[in-house]
Amino acid sequence: MTWLKLVEGYMPMQMITELAVCILFFSICNYLLKKAGIGVPKFWAGILVWCFINLFYLKYRIYPPIPFSVRAIYGTVSACGIFMWVSGSQEEWLEFKRPIISVLDANNAFTKVLRTALLLLLPLGLGAFAYSSLLPSFDEPIELRTVHPAPPATTKVHGKTYVLQTAQQPYRIDTEGKYDPAYSNAHIVDQSMGRLMKDVNSSEDNPWDPNAKGYIKHVREGGEIFFQNCHFCHGDNLNGRGLWAFAFNPIPANFTDAGTIAQLQETFVFWRVAKGGIGLPGEGFPWASVMPPWEQHLTVDEIWKVIMFEYWHTGYYPRTWD
Amino acid sequence: MNIELINTVNSATTRELMNRQQMTQHKHQGFTASLIAAGVFMVGMVFSSPVLAQDAEGFITGKLPSPFPAEQVEAGKRVYFTKCVWCHGVNGSGDGPGADRLWPRPRNFNAGTFKIRHTASGELPLIDVDLLQTVTHGLPGSAMPSWEGILSEDQRRDVLAFVTTELVKDRSWQDDEFEELHILELEKLAAGAVAPSAESIKRGSELVVENKCIECHGLEGRGDGNAFNLKDDWGFSIQPADWHKCWNFRGSRQDAYNVKNIFRTFSTGINGTPMPSFADNTTVEDRWHIANYVNHLCERDADVDIAGGNVTDEIAANLFAAKPRGIDPLTDKPKVNFVIPSKFAEGELPKDEHDPRWYDERWDKGEGRRIVAIGGQITHKPRNFVNRIDDIWVQSLYNETHVTMMFRWDDRTKSVQEGEVDWDPYEVNLKDYGIVEQEPGGSKFDDDGMHPDSIAAKQTSYQVFNDGLAFQMPIKFQELPAPRKPRYFWGDEGFPVDIAKWTADGNLMAYEGTGWDKDLEDRDDFTEKLNLVKAEWKDGRWTVIISRPIKADYEADTYIELGKYIPINFFVWDGHNGDVGRKMGVSAFYYLVLEPPVPAEAKWYAGLAAIGLVIVEGWVLTRRSNRRKEQGNS
Repeated sequence: MTWLKLVEGYMPMQMITELAVCILFFSICNYLLKKAGIGVPKFWAGILVWCFINLFYLKYRIYPPIPFSVRAIYGTVSACGIFMWVSGSQEEWLEFKRPIISVLDANNAFTKVLRTALLLLLPLGLGAFAYSSLLPSFDEPIELRTVHPAPPATTKVHGKTYVLQTAQQPYRIDTEGKYDPAYSNAHIVDQSMGRLMKDVNSSEDNPWDPNAKGYIKHVREGGEIFFQNCHFCHGDNLNGRGLWAFAFNPIPANFTDAGTIAQLQETFVFWRVAKGGIGLPGEGFPWASVMPPWEQHLTVDEIWKVIMFEYWHTGYYPRTWD
Repeated sequence: MNIELINTVNSATTRELMNRQQMTQHKHQGFTASLIAAGVFMVGMVFSSPVLAQDAEGFITGKLPSPFPAEQVEAGKRVYFTKCVWCHGVNGSGDGPGADRLWPRPRNFNAGTFKIRHTASGELPLIDVDLLQTVTHGLPGSAMPSWEGILSEDQRRDVLAFVTTELVKDRSWQDDEFEELHILELEKLAAGAVAPSAESIKRGSELVVENKCIECHGLEGRGDGNAFNLKDDWGFSIQPADWHKCWNFRGSRQDAYNVKNIFRTFSTGINGTPMPSFADNTTVEDRWHIANYVNHLCERDADVDIAGGNVTDEIAANLFAAKPRGIDPLTDKPKVNFVIPSKFAEGELPKDEHDPRWYDERWDKGEGRRIVAIGGQITHKPRNFVNRIDDIWVQSLYNETHVTMMFRWDDRTKSVQEGEVDWDPYEVNLKDYGIVEQEPGGSKFDDDGMHPDSIAAKQTSYQVFNDGLAFQMPIKFQELPAPRKPRYFWGDEGFPVDIAKWTADGNLMAYEGTGWDKDLEDRDDFTEKLNLVKAEWKDGRWTVIISRPIKADYEADTYIELGKYIPINFFVWDGHNGDVGRKMGVSAFYYLVLEPPVPAEAKWYAGLAAIGLVIVEGWVLTRRSNRRKEQGNS
């Protein structure tokens, strides 16, 4: 099934855009049909749109599937929206009500049969729904975990205390202790989908150039550490889809997502890497994360270098205080 | 400095093809190549051109592709040095920084040997089909990911231009003197494929015996045949595919249950490995039968016992009827459900895996057994970078007093530790006894052209320990402040866990765990209450059934209650992988739930709801008719 990609993972903008396009499409269809003199009654149009959003789009288009309780909220919200649409004016409201009233009044044989059938089926359906929802069923519990919890003021790694507010990535600062803008994402550029190095033949851009030194050499050293230690979970493209991503929960962080390292300070990342899952505060579920406390495996320099590599490879620049 | 490299016989004559099956390792002539100052390996080549008098059935003769334009090669170099170099190395020798901790080892491009192809055995692959699909869909079961959505199709083609032009050094797609392409007409053949049926599956099960597939792949196809000492052309340990995990087939192209992929691999073989092409000694029809059989062995909703490969009509019908499992599009592995339901069982609990209550109608098909995904333990030293067991299947039943769990998992090797070890079973810090993790290595060649420091080279030489399985549940889970749990790795000091650990030497022990680095505490009195119902390794699969009392000591063990979510984690050891102590496979948190009976009041509430709605209906109708009367009057 590669011909149609689901909305995978956390993609709110894609979801909202797609829904908006669909609603726009419906509106245009509705308008054209009305022009052609075969307008769809608002009663049926409302039901159709509601069913499309809740029973089709949100149920089958998004992966992983949205839990029922969340879809129930969307269902209510969209029902409110549709009611506002159908009750825009008194005539519209009357028009909307007309099919309901005509079944209630049952003035002809068809509506009489329909009314009787509905009067019987609705209570039966409700009873069956109540019964099935009272059966013991065991869905996966939903637990809300904070992905980026508040960091501590200081962290002690390999016997040295780092103040997160003032500590600096030693491989990104110049001789005066300032963040050097040259050591930035300028060396990695967006090209089509992939972020690639600018010039493979330049020792400033290519970490594997034999003459690479300084910043770009440190990137390579960080990359070596990454591909000996981190890719098993975070993946060869740092997108959190490594070999074992399917085995662990919480899933590994996706560094290519604009919501992870791109919006964090390097010292925050340093703290998270050094202390790992077990070092998280309670809201980060330290008991469940398999993220190693890397201070048990790497030196401080190696941790800084691997962070350097992560920013280089994703083309992001860390958030800074100024 | 002289370096000797192993060379490969890259193509095989028909006779060689048939012999390959029996070969465990090729002995090849290598010759000395010198290391040029720039650090480029000149790799020698000794190979013969494929001599196929006429195309095997289903193949047509193809044309060699024209060379790539230099700009495209240059563009691909940029992609390669950003994304690929980290595993495949600067010279494409499969020796990047990541290589030594990977198994299977990254591809060495130099010899032009590629596994998944539409071309005849020993031939180069089709760049714009085979290699492009590999880059697009990745190679499941290895670290090679899918690059679709990460690199554009143009970028994927560019990088292939670079790899095939610059990094494949011993052969060339432009070498029309030595190279030929005989291409499997897969799409055309698929149009006339033998549709899967019970008969076809049964015929396939006979053909895998006739064609000696089972010699390597095992009687039930779990990859446990002549499994352990197989080597690839470079001398690295490899293992035959487990047909029950089609999502791990390298050539599955993110479409695990597609029979075409199996047909293709079977027709063209896997270059560089002992897996030959069967194009010359099987008809196209027979190949479809085999592909149908292998495809239906892949785990599906029903757990069909295939009785050591003696597939009867009934087994074939059951295999045919079973439906594929859902594949998670995010991971390309079976979907995981973190809740493991335990059903009530009347009377005594099952004694073995054949008890019909494991296959109870009350479970929707396939919902009774849950797949538990396993990853290597990489949190604390010694880390396990290769987990040879990547999933276990868990099922549970309970009666008034006991809960029983059946664990089944594929393990190519039965490992029982022979002789004593120096440490006690409860000890977990084994560094002083020499149990350490794989060093990053550095991908150095030795005199035999091997990378002796790599995991891929070491796979057959570990000290063998016991296979094992353990699960942990919190002690006093009733008092855990939600969502707090004891740490997944043997608990923590504040929240200890109850661990039941089975080892293949027949021991089943209860421990208390208080942290990853704390020795386990023997719980002798609870060990007596654990019951090892069955533990058997057969045809590449362990079946272990463990039962324990529901109500244990509230203070010291897990005191289970009906209808409660009880966090549970699983641990698994493969003795032939050198797994022992903390070198193991681990799972995420799952929940064991003993499903309580249907509450009697459910019926009453349902009836009340229905009656309530009838009343509402009556009110609406009355109101409407009153309104109409009013309207009529006015």
